[in-house]
Amino acid sequence: MSYKITEEGNVATVHLDGEIDMDVTEKAKEVIMPLIESGKEVHLNLKEVQYMDSSGISVLIESHQKAAELGTKVILKEISKSVLKVIMMAKLEQILIIE
Amino acid sequence: MTIDEHKEFAVQSSSLKEIRSFAREVLTKDPVFQNSMDDVVLALAEAAQNIVKHAYSGQPTGDTMKVDIKFNGKQLIIELFDKGSPAIPQNIKPRKLDDIKAGGLGTFFIGQIMDEVIFKTAATDWVNHLILKKNY
Repeated sequence: MSYKITEEGNVATVHLDGEIDMDVTEKAKEVIMPLIESGKEVHLNLKEVQYMDSSGISVLIESHQKAAELGTKVILKEISKSVLKVIMMAKLEQILIIE
Repeated sequence: MTIDEHKEFAVQSSSLKEIRSFAREVLTKDPVFQNSMDDVVLALAEAAQNIVKHAYSGQPTGDTMKVDIKFNGKQLIIELFDKGSPAIPQNIKPRKLDDIKAGGLGTFFIGQIMDEVIFKTAATDWVNHLILKKNY
C-alpha cells in the first residue's frame, strides 16, 4: 500500500493505492487517524485500491467512528469496484459516508 | 477440469498477499471461476488471516500453514491447516451486522461467499483444519 496526502483548507485527502489487508492496516491508521484527530474533514480516495479485506473495512469503520466522535467526518471518494463490493457485502454503504 | 494444488506459507500477515497470489494463479486455470474469483480469494484470505490473528494471536512463530485447493468440476474445496491454538467452533461466529464495530467481519464474509464451512480439530500432523466448499 502506498499513499499521498493533499490538504486544502480544512480538508485532507488521502489517496490510497494498492491492496489493504491486515499487513498494512496499522500503517493506514497511522496515516489517517492523526488527520482526523487534528479536526480535519478527511476524504479517502479509494480509486486505486484493488483489494480490501475485513481488516481494511475495520480501518474505514474506526475512522468513521473517530471522526463522528470528534465532530468531523470521513468521506469515501471514487471507490473502486472491488472495494465497493466488499463494503456492500458488509452492508456498510448506509453507514459510511460515500460520495 | 480438475485441480489439486497445495502450498505452505509462513504464519505471518505478510503471507496474506502470497496466499492471494497463489489462489488467483490456481483459480485462473479454469474459466468457471472467472466471476467468483475475487470473492473466493477474499474468503480464503480471511480464513488465513484468522489463523494469524486468532490461532496464533498475532504472535511471531516459525510455523507454517497449509492451503489446499481442489476442484472436481462441480465443487471447489479449499482446506487450511495450522498448528496454532485449537479453534473452538462454537465460539467462531460472525458478528451481527447491525453491531457496527471494527473486527468480526471476516467470518461473516466467509459465510457469505462459501456454501459450506467446516471446522475440524486434531487433523493429522496439524491442529486446526478448516474446510471451505463452494458449488459450481
